[in-house]
Amino acid sequence: MNRIESSFRDPDGFMFEFEKEIFRVVNLSYQPDYDHLLSSGLYGKLISQELIVPFEEVNSAQFGLSDFYKVLKPERIKFISYPYEWSFSMLKDAAILTLKIQKLAMEYGMSLKDATAYNIQFHKGKPIFIDTLSFELYPINRPWVAYRQFCQHFLAPLALISRIDPGLIRMFIIHLDGIPLDLAAKMLPFRSRLNIDLYLNIFLHAWSQKKHNADEISLVQVRRKFSLSSMISLVEGLEASVLKQCWNAKGSEWAYYYDEDVHSSEYSQFKKRVISGWFDEVKPGSIWDLGANRGDYSRLAAQKGIDVISFDLDPVCVEMNYTNVKKNKETNILPLLLDILNASPSIGWGCAERPSFYNRNRPDMVLALALIHHLAISANIPLALIARLFAGLSDHLIIEFVPKEDDKVKILLLNREDVFADYTQTNFEKAMSVYFRIEQKIPVDYNNRVFYLMSLQ
Amino acid sequence: MNNFASILLYLDPGTGSLLIQFLVAAIFGIILFFRKIMMEIKILFYRLFNKKPEDKK
Repeated sequence: MNRIESSFRDPDGFMFEFEKEIFRVVNLSYQPDYDHLLSSGLYGKLISQELIVPFEEVNSAQFGLSDFYKVLKPERIKFISYPYEWSFSMLKDAAILTLKIQKLAMEYGMSLKDATAYNIQFHKGKPIFIDTLSFELYPINRPWVAYRQFCQHFLAPLALISRIDPGLIRMFIIHLDGIPLDLAAKMLPFRSRLNIDLYLNIFLHAWSQKKHNADEISLVQVRRKFSLSSMISLVEGLEASVLKQCWNAKGSEWAYYYDEDVHSSEYSQFKKRVISGWFDEVKPGSIWDLGANRGDYSRLAAQKGIDVISFDLDPVCVEMNYTNVKKNKETNILPLLLDILNASPSIGWGCAERPSFYNRNRPDMVLALALIHHLAISANIPLALIARLFAGLSDHLIIEFVPKEDDKVKILLLNREDVFADYTQTNFEKAMSVYFRIEQKIPVDYNNRVFYLMSLQ
Repeated sequence: MNNFASILLYLDPGTGSLLIQFLVAAIFGIILFFRKIMMEIKILFYRLFNKKPEDKK
């Protein structure tokens, strides 16, 4: 039995792994809330609307636990992602889901006791709430305890992205509990103060936090009660505030990478045929598409029933990809933001709370199309290191070699000294062969590019 | 007596974050109230103006 490293803050329970399955322990302290969650019908309602991950109570004798109430086995989420890997709309949808659940919980006499973005995962193309222990019996007359977290995890980053830059989602990496509101208030442009939603929830909120920094709540003279109707106004107001946050995903150098290329249609048709054939041959259950752009090739795999994660470093591409996932109701593509040159690190307590990109699960196959020149030439990564990294990721690899005479590579070398004498197809094959067996190799009639299907030796 | 039942929580909700909610909820309440009225007026106008062309027919 291994306790999951990220599950230690809530004294009402924890997660653990047992024989490759994930379980949740519900402590005795949570019994009244847990019983109400199930008996009130709230759990059933949340399940029927697919808002929360379903679980079943299991026989706990095999685990050798003591002093607990229940052991639950939740449906497994295939890939755990974190808000610093999401696009704007993914975070926005997670925010809306959190408020929708809070509203439903209130109808059934409960309330969320935390509102972190980490309570949400993307499952079958949609955000879903994963923390069964976040529900508490509705605390009469008390303001929403999760309000601070909601603003830090959702409203502040959404405002920062929509008003400054989409790359700011990565601030989640350095701020474990969402973006501090005083920091958001300092960063946001001055005119944001004229926006009533941001003024109240970020600027005034940050001011109030500073003012009452060291005040004990019971010592503060509060004469009024926070009524249910106040709570409804708060939650509905927050919902309206979130809905008004918009970011127009455009102006990216990458998102229209393929559209600009007038010669590419024949090439991309050929590429699709080759790759599609290899999918049928290897039959992978899961694929990571690195440098997926808007996910055109990810979709090729997804249509064959393969679970795909489309990684790209460009927030505009990830946003467009997610928009397509929603529009087409695709259930097996997960678009995520990732710079392979600086992938998500392990963060949090003991650097183990949120595992790095390399310490989550392993796909059956990696797709690296038109990526190698960005690694080897733009970022000066030696071929041997590129080969080693791919070897650590998966057993199968589809990779496209883009030679130096390629137009795209010429652009990369336009204002640089060509220090890449080693960057040749022969050296590429040699470097990869240290770890991989080259199963198939298909040259394409486009700038001498070559497709490879490789398997670990 | 303290109005907040069982105020000691496993997370620090932040005193400032709790107190500001009285004001935020009140202002949101007013905004939502007026928005509802505006909505009803809009619907009323929509009905009035949409009926006219139909009446002419």
